[in-house]
Amino acid sequence: MSEPDRTSLPIRREPFAGVANRTLAGSEPDWNLIGHPTPPEGAPNVLLVLIDDAGFGNPSTFGGPIQTPNYTRMAAGGLRYNRMHVTALCSPTRAALLTGRNNHAVGFGSVGEFAGGFPGYSATLPRDCTPLPRILRENGYSTAAFGKWHLTPDGQQGPAGPFDRWPNGWGFDYFYGILGGGSSQWDPCLAENQKIIGTPEEFYDEEHPYYFPDAMADRTIEWLHGVRAQDAHKPFFVYYSTGCSHAPHHVGKDWADKYKGQFDQGWDQLREQTFARQQELGVIPANAELTARDEAFPAWDDVPDKLKPFYARQMEVYAGYSENADHNVGRVIGAIEELGELDNTLILWIWGDNGASMEGTTTGSFNELTMQNGIPLTDEMQLQLTERYGGLEAWSSALMAPHYGAAWAWAGNTPFKWGKQVGSHLGGTRNPMVVHWPDHVTDAGELRTPFAHVIDIAPTILDAARIPAPQTVDGIEQEPMHGTSFVASLADGKAPEHRTQQYFETIGNRAMYKDGWWLAMKTERIPWLLTPDALAPYAPGVWDPDADPVELYYLPDDFTQAKDLAAENPERVQELKDLFWQEAERYKVLPLLATLSTFFGMLPPLPDETTFEFRGDVQNVMPGMIPRIYNRSYAITADLVVPEGGAEGVIVAEADHLGGFTLYVKDGKLTHTYSMMGVFVFQQVAEEDLPTGDVTVRMAFEADGAKPATGGEVTLFIDGRPVGKGRMDHTVPVRFSGYSGMDIGRDNGGVVDRSYESQKPYPFTGTVKKVVFDIKPHLSDEDELTVHTAEQHGQAAHSLSA
Amino acid sequence: MGFDDETTDVLIGGYLSTDAAHEDYEAVLGCGARLWGAVVVSRDLEGNVSVEQTDHMVEEGSAGLAAVGFAVGLFSPPLLAATAIGAAVGAVGGKALHRRTGSKIEEMAGETIPIGGAGLIVAYKHADARTVEPAVARAVKQVVGEAEGHHVKALKDALAEAQQKMAEADG
Repeated sequence: MSEPDRTSLPIRREPFAGVANRTLAGSEPDWNLIGHPTPPEGAPNVLLVLIDDAGFGNPSTFGGPIQTPNYTRMAAGGLRYNRMHVTALCSPTRAALLTGRNNHAVGFGSVGEFAGGFPGYSATLPRDCTPLPRILRENGYSTAAFGKWHLTPDGQQGPAGPFDRWPNGWGFDYFYGILGGGSSQWDPCLAENQKIIGTPEEFYDEEHPYYFPDAMADRTIEWLHGVRAQDAHKPFFVYYSTGCSHAPHHVGKDWADKYKGQFDQGWDQLREQTFARQQELGVIPANAELTARDEAFPAWDDVPDKLKPFYARQMEVYAGYSENADHNVGRVIGAIEELGELDNTLILWIWGDNGASMEGTTTGSFNELTMQNGIPLTDEMQLQLTERYGGLEAWSSALMAPHYGAAWAWAGNTPFKWGKQVGSHLGGTRNPMVVHWPDHVTDAGELRTPFAHVIDIAPTILDAARIPAPQTVDGIEQEPMHGTSFVASLADGKAPEHRTQQYFETIGNRAMYKDGWWLAMKTERIPWLLTPDALAPYAPGVWDPDADPVELYYLPDDFTQAKDLAAENPERVQELKDLFWQEAERYKVLPLLATLSTFFGMLPPLPDETTFEFRGDVQNVMPGMIPRIYNRSYAITADLVVPEGGAEGVIVAEADHLGGFTLYVKDGKLTHTYSMMGVFVFQQVAEEDLPTGDVTVRMAFEADGAKPATGGEVTLFIDGRPVGKGRMDHTVPVRFSGYSGMDIGRDNGGVVDRSYESQKPYPFTGTVKKVVFDIKPHLSDEDELTVHTAEQHGQAAHSLSA
Repeated sequence: MGFDDETTDVLIGGYLSTDAAHEDYEAVLGCGARLWGAVVVSRDLEGNVSVEQTDHMVEEGSAGLAAVGFAVGLFSPPLLAATAIGAAVGAVGGKALHRRTGSKIEEMAGETIPIGGAGLIVAYKHADARTVEPAVARAVKQVVGEAEGHHVKALKDALAEAQQKMAEADG
């Protein structure tokens, strides 16, 4: 068969070359008809590994305190790259990585949850930017993705799709993982291909509990074995995207305990120690300078002694969690090695997608969603809430959803300034990369220093496979990839720089790199603050981006961005400013701050639906898709059939004890429990038993007003009669959970009310015929707009931390 | 100096964990000051209430904390800047409470202590404030009321003032 035209996908089949007569007499088959496209001869397997929310100074392979023996092994047999760049935010990096285009240009100026009304922020992949997995699949690769996805808009994560926004739609034959930005590692609400499959059964096995990172590796190995059982030669593309090290920081206690006492010195000294190791390893230049601590981060010496163990444990857990990720990637690599295919497998392993995350604010939190819901808690409060849920030793358990304090993230980004969300500085934009491909790497163990960006990954993989980027796909002309292959650097340490220019923009923080010069333009907002005061300077008509302070660095002489040269180089500053605006226009970055547009009144249309019916046993409704009950009055009505002798169990439940609600029957009593992010738990119990037969129960919440976190009165009804009441002083303003789903007739995963923990998932023993949410029993049109605005603000705030 | 001749202080501390409340309770008991009494009330995640108290006045045969109806309110951090917690402090009064009727405290506290929370109330001579108050190191919200006069009245008035302050602080 001749080499097909790969520039137009799908590859056209060869015309029938046999003979088809009226009968078999004289007919000749053409067996090429049942074939399928194959990649060019010698195309390698590809394993693309992306670690989440981690920094340049985290892995020991790059001088960090976290032991990463598998990463180091790959570096020893491959190459370390110390100037790989990302976009400073989760989804944007993933979109750029998988498309080879700048993130704004493919609609991902912000995260997947936030689908905005500007081209650069729609969270919707344009059809003229076909992603890498689709290209590889069409060229004969087996493709699979495991782990975190984070490229499907919030409201599209259910059985109605649309599925072109799911991993299969991006070109993966198989997907196992989470659609959102973060997840419990103990009871994730999983997706497999085009279905939300919810919490794994193993979650209920106390002897051998489920752990997502282990399961990811298991599933990957199982998939590889399956592919090889069918086809000994078809190359594979595995995208292995860990939920680690994103919050919640969940890991077995034994992993965390390996680091006991190793962070008692605090973040300031940790940075100095990491920096010294980085210089010793040679992963940073000898003349590099450790950047100073910004006053946004507290000095370790100023932390009260009684709280230091609290902070130290946060980092011990993060370290153990991260080491476990290395361990599980190592298992996958081991499986490839066992297949005898390591030499011809191109492994690209990037340790972090946006620098380490500072979203834990200065205190860290027992529940990461407390920050996203705007609940200000001091470190003493955080410690007490930690004690409530099991204490420091339980910090990594399913009882909490922890995130460490921002200063640990800053230390994880050593030697750079800042971190995640800060696209203007290297702390948020530069992460380590290791490339391993024994068949092609000539200087194993060496360091490579080209200025690279995640948009270069897809072109590099295509180059390695000798597959051209298609000019048309499904008849649609394609936007050329913006990235450039760095394959030449694998075999040649002196290969010319493949990239001399790159823009960066994340939530208004922006940078322009050209020929070694880096202009940093950071907004003055501290990344974890979204208060009205913090946002006011960026309002339309108020903010003049060109008036923002600028910093200028010459990176060839200043690896860490320690020496600001802006004052001495005004012409260079202006040149790079002008260039940024050109690039911003070209790649759909504009309008700047579209990520925050809802805060400035640019709201999506008000949805029409005010009642939501769930029939049968609908389960695993993703948290971004539950009825809009926040900040308003609402009612939940359920039609039940209660057998003789009574019934018990959950009628409807959302999320878990760290934020959620449940309406259930226990000891014959209708009960409503509402967890305000685990900080407050409210409960109302009916004063009479639930009758048998056809019964209608109702929980009505009458809000004090249409305002964020409104309090209000709860009344329970049975067949229209009030049977119980109580007050909820505060309700959840943004969302209960980033990952835990809503279920009818049971409470999957971690339970909302710990009183039925031993009976989880506590299925209802009668019949739940239907559950109806009414979210507009009391609102005026004006109130509806107020609530809609609050919800959108909350959504945007949540998105920034996802 | 007797109870009647002193200004009486009542301190209310609010906690988000029972561990923290008990730490302060033990610290107060061990601080060296003479207390009129102390009570710590907590509610676990399943809603069960537990009470621990010492009531020196009862031991001395006179009316102590129990007589003035100590009940612990909701002790909560402020939320969302413009929002605050509606305090449920001081909802109960006038019932005689002491160790023998701990179940009554539990019943009432069950209505006012949030699930997972705890509260501490300590009564002491105003002159001992500098000894007692530093021992209460972990309260996320802390108020002190004071009053003079006959001991029962002083306790009641001091408690009422503390409860009022707690309500104002919360609301």
